[in-house]
Amino acid sequence: MKFMEVLRYELEHRLRSPSTWLYGGFLFLLSMWMFLATADGGMESFANAPERIAGGGAIVGAVGMLVTAALFGDAAVRDVSVEMDPLLFTSPLSKAEYLGGRFVAAFAVNALLLLAVPLGFIVCTEIVTSAQSVGVGPFRPAAYAQQYLFFLLPNLMLSGAILFTTGVLTRHIVPVYLAALGLFISCVAIMNGVAATEQPVLQLLGDPIGMRSIQETTQYWTPSERKTRLLGLSGRLLVNRAVWLTVAAFVLALLHWRFKFSHARVGGRRSRKHPGINDATLAPIRAVSVPRVSGTFGVRMTARQTIAVAARSLADVVSSRWFVAALVACTLLTLLMGWNVSQTVFDTSTWPVTMLVAETVLTERVAPIIYALIALFAGELVWSDRDVHVEEIADAAPVREGVALLGRFMALVAIIVMFQAALLFGGMLIQALQGYFRFEFGLYLRILFGLQLANYLLFAVLTLTFQVLVNQKYLAHMALLLVFLGVLFLRMLGFVDHGLLLYGTDPGWTYSDMNGFGPFIVPFVWFKLYWAAWALLLAVVAALFWVRGREPGMQHRLSRARERFGRSLLGSAAVALTLILVLGGFVFYNTNVLNDYRTSLEEGRPLAEYEKRYKQFETVPQPTITRADLRVEIHPDEPGVDVQGTFTLHNLTGTPIDSVHVLIADPLVEVQSLRFDRASTPVLVDEEARYRIFALEQSLLPDDSMQLNFDVGFRQRGFSNGEMQTKVVANGTHFDRRLMPIIGYQHVFELSGEDARVRFGLAPQPKAPPASQAATIQHRWSVRDADLVQVSAVIGTSADQIAVTPGVLQRSWTENGRRYFHYETRSPISFGGTFFSAKYAVVEDRWNDVSLSVYHHPAHGDDVERTVRSMKASLDYYTEQFGPYPDNQLRVVEFPRYGGFGVAHPHTIAFAESYFLSRVKPGELDQPFYGTAHEIAHTWWGGLVRGAPVRGHGLLSESLANYSAMMVTEKMYGVEAARRVYAFHLDRYLRGRATPSREVPLLEVTDQPYIAYRKGALAMYTLRERMGEEAVNAVLRRFVERFANGNRPYPTSLDLYGELRAAAPDSLHELLADLFETVTLWDVRSEEARVRRLASGEYEVEIDVFARKVRADSVGTETEVPMDELVDIGVYARGEDGTLGEPLYLAPHRVRSGKHTIRVTVAGEPTRAGIDPMRKLIDRVGDNNVVGAKAAPTGTL
Amino acid sequence: MQLAIRDLSKTYPNGTRALNAVSLDIPKGMFGLLGRNGAGKSTLMRIIATLQDPDAGTIHLGELDVVRDKPAVRETLGYLPQSFGFHPRAKAERLLEHFAVLKGIAEPGVRRDVVESLLRQTNLWEKRRERLGTFSGGMRQRFGVAVALLGNPRLIIVDEPTAGLDPEERVRFLNLLSEIGEDSVVILSTHIVEDVEELCSRMAIIDGGEILLEAEPMNAIDALRERIWRRTVARADLPTIAQEMAVISTKLLAGRTIVHVKSDGPPGPDFEPVEPALEDVYFSVMAGHHGRRATGEVST
Repeated sequence: MKFMEVLRYELEHRLRSPSTWLYGGFLFLLSMWMFLATADGGMESFANAPERIAGGGAIVGAVGMLVTAALFGDAAVRDVSVEMDPLLFTSPLSKAEYLGGRFVAAFAVNALLLLAVPLGFIVCTEIVTSAQSVGVGPFRPAAYAQQYLFFLLPNLMLSGAILFTTGVLTRHIVPVYLAALGLFISCVAIMNGVAATEQPVLQLLGDPIGMRSIQETTQYWTPSERKTRLLGLSGRLLVNRAVWLTVAAFVLALLHWRFKFSHARVGGRRSRKHPGINDATLAPIRAVSVPRVSGTFGVRMTARQTIAVAARSLADVVSSRWFVAALVACTLLTLLMGWNVSQTVFDTSTWPVTMLVAETVLTERVAPIIYALIALFAGELVWSDRDVHVEEIADAAPVREGVALLGRFMALVAIIVMFQAALLFGGMLIQALQGYFRFEFGLYLRILFGLQLANYLLFAVLTLTFQVLVNQKYLAHMALLLVFLGVLFLRMLGFVDHGLLLYGTDPGWTYSDMNGFGPFIVPFVWFKLYWAAWALLLAVVAALFWVRGREPGMQHRLSRARERFGRSLLGSAAVALTLILVLGGFVFYNTNVLNDYRTSLEEGRPLAEYEKRYKQFETVPQPTITRADLRVEIHPDEPGVDVQGTFTLHNLTGTPIDSVHVLIADPLVEVQSLRFDRASTPVLVDEEARYRIFALEQSLLPDDSMQLNFDVGFRQRGFSNGEMQTKVVANGTHFDRRLMPIIGYQHVFELSGEDARVRFGLAPQPKAPPASQAATIQHRWSVRDADLVQVSAVIGTSADQIAVTPGVLQRSWTENGRRYFHYETRSPISFGGTFFSAKYAVVEDRWNDVSLSVYHHPAHGDDVERTVRSMKASLDYYTEQFGPYPDNQLRVVEFPRYGGFGVAHPHTIAFAESYFLSRVKPGELDQPFYGTAHEIAHTWWGGLVRGAPVRGHGLLSESLANYSAMMVTEKMYGVEAARRVYAFHLDRYLRGRATPSREVPLLEVTDQPYIAYRKGALAMYTLRERMGEEAVNAVLRRFVERFANGNRPYPTSLDLYGELRAAAPDSLHELLADLFETVTLWDVRSEEARVRRLASGEYEVEIDVFARKVRADSVGTETEVPMDELVDIGVYARGEDGTLGEPLYLAPHRVRSGKHTIRVTVAGEPTRAGIDPMRKLIDRVGDNNVVGAKAAPTGTL
Repeated sequence: MQLAIRDLSKTYPNGTRALNAVSLDIPKGMFGLLGRNGAGKSTLMRIIATLQDPDAGTIHLGELDVVRDKPAVRETLGYLPQSFGFHPRAKAERLLEHFAVLKGIAEPGVRRDVVESLLRQTNLWEKRRERLGTFSGGMRQRFGVAVALLGNPRLIIVDEPTAGLDPEERVRFLNLLSEIGEDSVVILSTHIVEDVEELCSRMAIIDGGEILLEAEPMNAIDALRERIWRRTVARADLPTIAQEMAVISTKLLAGRTIVHVKSDGPPGPDFEPVEPALEDVYFSVMAGHHGRRATGEVST
């Protein structure tokens, strides 16, 4: 049994080696980290839900590939590297025995170590159970068996086969690590959803670890299913596992075929025993006089030596053929990971602009790879001398430790720069291949060789230091990873969130085409300088402990370090410490003195205090703003803004008001003055909660009015630890009411988020009141100090910018080198206080007597025409169907991509930059068109008709806006396009249900977007199918007429539902209840379709269908209800591959619960048939609706 | 200037006593350190080459404290370790230039001259554009010498340089070594007696971490003159002879066993006198018939 002997030998070697057990410990810690990091679902889910255990296991397995690479790589190349191959390869072993023994042993050991993963999960379950902050389900062995058998072991088989084969065939360890890196990257890509594709084969190929299969399997699971349901080895997952195990088998077969017991190494470092060059010249040693040159040493020499070390180290890495392979691979990976960067909402693309490619792809997505490569190369560089065994010669050379270290650092920098250049190339390739040629080379350089390089350099110093201190290449990698994960974990818990505490961090940045790096660059630079000082200190430590000579043991290293701590290192350490203090002090001054710093755990305290102290005044009668005269001075170059203004306050309450409460919502607002036009005294000024109470000497009587004159400023001083303010910026200012005083206590500013509220001892926020209480509601806007306001605003901004706010532009002029705009509303409008200022290009047009304009960033003008077309089409349809447009202008205004996407203000729609980058390819949905139509629809839904803020509120705004936009899309692009939007909303609704959020019926929706936007669109569009467009729109038109006056009581979802129900025939009442009153899901499928040709030449089709309808409660527990309704039955001719062809038959049939056979006769030859072929029903599994038609066995019909 | 070693001791963590109070004075010129494998040669070499620290004892190179002032020693040190490799993909000339920079030869023109002449001297000039990975053992060893000779070192340490070389390579290598170091302290450690015999003006024999003999090879050989006898013996007689006489070595010659015996007069019949060689010195010292082990100065 030679195989058994090989196996036994290898097993013994592995199990005796201490590193094996360290690897096991690493996996254990990794799985604990994974578990704790994802156990944050609150009580709504189980931390040990089978689905989480499986997914977490797959991810730990992917990261654990580091261990697999070490074990299998060692098994593959050890014989060659210790030069035992001549002995082994000449023994009478067969290839299968030799390779099999090594592979099986490595597999067995790794499989054993992988048991640490379920173990880690189990241990952590115990930990969190005692902590009691998260939900924990009962212990289920099957969940762990599933993790181990379906994911950990098959993935080990695959990665092991690939890595082992790589190692054996290349006889080198570096390719093994590169292969592991490649595999890992594909996993990362999948987890980021990068390989998202509808093509089943590509989906399979893009998912070697099964992560995506888990997501696919569970995507529509309800919260209650997520808690307890096992994945099971079915369908997609089974195919995936089988395919990838087959791939593993093929790889091993390939290995067996390619492997030869030969001595085939060329130029390897161990080749000294076989001369490649014939040294036959036996000429006597010539008498050559060697110039007697002694070395000269000094500062210049030190510099020269540093460069020499750098060049030598770099040459060593670069001359390896793996280096070029890694560079090329990196470029290709960039393509792979970045190809879909231009995919956004729906299936609409954006242009692959440089900003997106450089930030999203080359920085966010690819960064993990670069960090891994830096760690890898740092290890190779620190060990370069020892790996080729020249260390005794090099160590005895008169080179200082700092020089050896700095030289290697410089080599590492050069390597990083080369990889960044490869990324740059890859990024431009993405753009060019997608037909986009507006390369912003300068932006690439600034991101890749500026911001991102700074991060990489800091990391490079850290990895080098780790390698030096740990002094074992692979342990150092693992130690680094563990430290990294540990820090991440601490961060997640909210402990370490000051940028001064976490090596290398910065407050983050976002690039905007409009505003460049904007306010982010200054704090970035200061934080990086501060961390560079730490890096210097790390470098000193590394130099002190740099391994030189042969003395093992920490004792010796310590005493050497003491010996080396001479003048120059001491000086460097002193410089580093001084810089740390000075720079750290400066940063601290900015973040903690000039700005208000709070840990993330303390984040909401001012808001909590605001609520605790002043909630009592929520119902105190307060005046209402009816007129606002504003003078807004925007200073883009500071940036900052000053607002002076006068609010006319009316007492509409019916009782005298003796005190006015004034709230300042934004912490950066500084109040210069607040004065009333009647005598008042501030009886309370609370700077922390930003709340003030003024007692009026003379009460404001009912229906009387008074004025509040205010002067406030808004600007950030220095920089903060968190994100910088982005409301007022150099180009692209976009702010609202929150920079101005607000009257009275406002519920809307209260601290939200359950966790935070619990932390500060606040009771959960009450749900919105039920619709039945709408009559008691006094305010319809979220900020309750105004209803409709007459606004007059003079805006000053820099001379090259245009300022916009809702209202009609009265005039514009230049004064003192600044540009001024005076806007005034025609009639009172809802008061959002929204202002824009930027260097805009303006496109103007007209629709009837409405002036249309689009204010956009000059470089973003490509698709403006679509927006204009949508404005016209929307106005056409809405005015015809819902009633007249209440204004004489309509604008679309662009703002930077710092947050938000689209917001509708009165006759002014704000869209973020990304909207202007949309690129509509043939066959794709016209997202700019749809989005504009949606926002314009808010003129009616949410504007003219503003629902009471009660349950069901979302139906009256977002659902109707989406329905309206779908109708405009249908008119413009046809039913097909509207159906595509429908399919998108269906998918998002089903996914949204899967999140733990307590699903309510549509009639009660308040702030759950997947119900208000998605399900609402589905319900309204379905209704329109059944009732007809005219009937539905007639209801809506009447609804507008009834409620557009804005009087109390405000409308509710019940009002609309009542009218819809009244207009619908009785036969549809059941459907109305399904869609609006309950959470109802259908499950229809076709089991078989049989075709028989009739004598008449026609075809008879028999379809076996199954149908079922269930109602779900708020956590997704389902109860079946009888089904009896009309469902489409379709029969289709041959279509282009994969698609349905022409419908030969498509008509609704009455379908009841259970199995039926439906028979139809069609003229042409059918190939596919089924139930609900268009996927109109809310059905979680849609791809079984239609089946292929088979010829019926003769005699069955 | 000479290298003065005083009471140098070194014990490894596993208990191995590598050096035990070693004291040596090594003048300029070629000094041979002879001993079998594991005698402590390489430990001593590495300590002198600043790569290890002794537990006790001092080493001075002239005024320089070798143990304390390592950077200064390295500036004037040439070291050829017992085993070493080179970056396999580097080319000979480039790599030698690299080491020339590390050894402080700043001036590019001078550096080129030094590199060229060293490559010529080591007979590698023709191979200067070849990669180190393709070099044979002898070529690599000569390249190592070239590296060690860079920067005009005053202290050159050559640790077991001829082990693993074929006879021709060994001859060429010894020729090369004989060229160097009249002005420097050159320490050659080896377990091959001929190396020392052919090259060194002074030598020491080390075993078990202790110096058994410190002498000039010629004097040591002279001391044995007319005291070494040999005889061809039957294998079966060996134990008896070993019991009765001071056998210093037995070896095979054309299939027959020859013993060398140390004796002031003819030790018995059939013995014939031999002209002593350094090998006889070495074996008699190792066998405890000569040197400090014979006089009981050191532990055995």
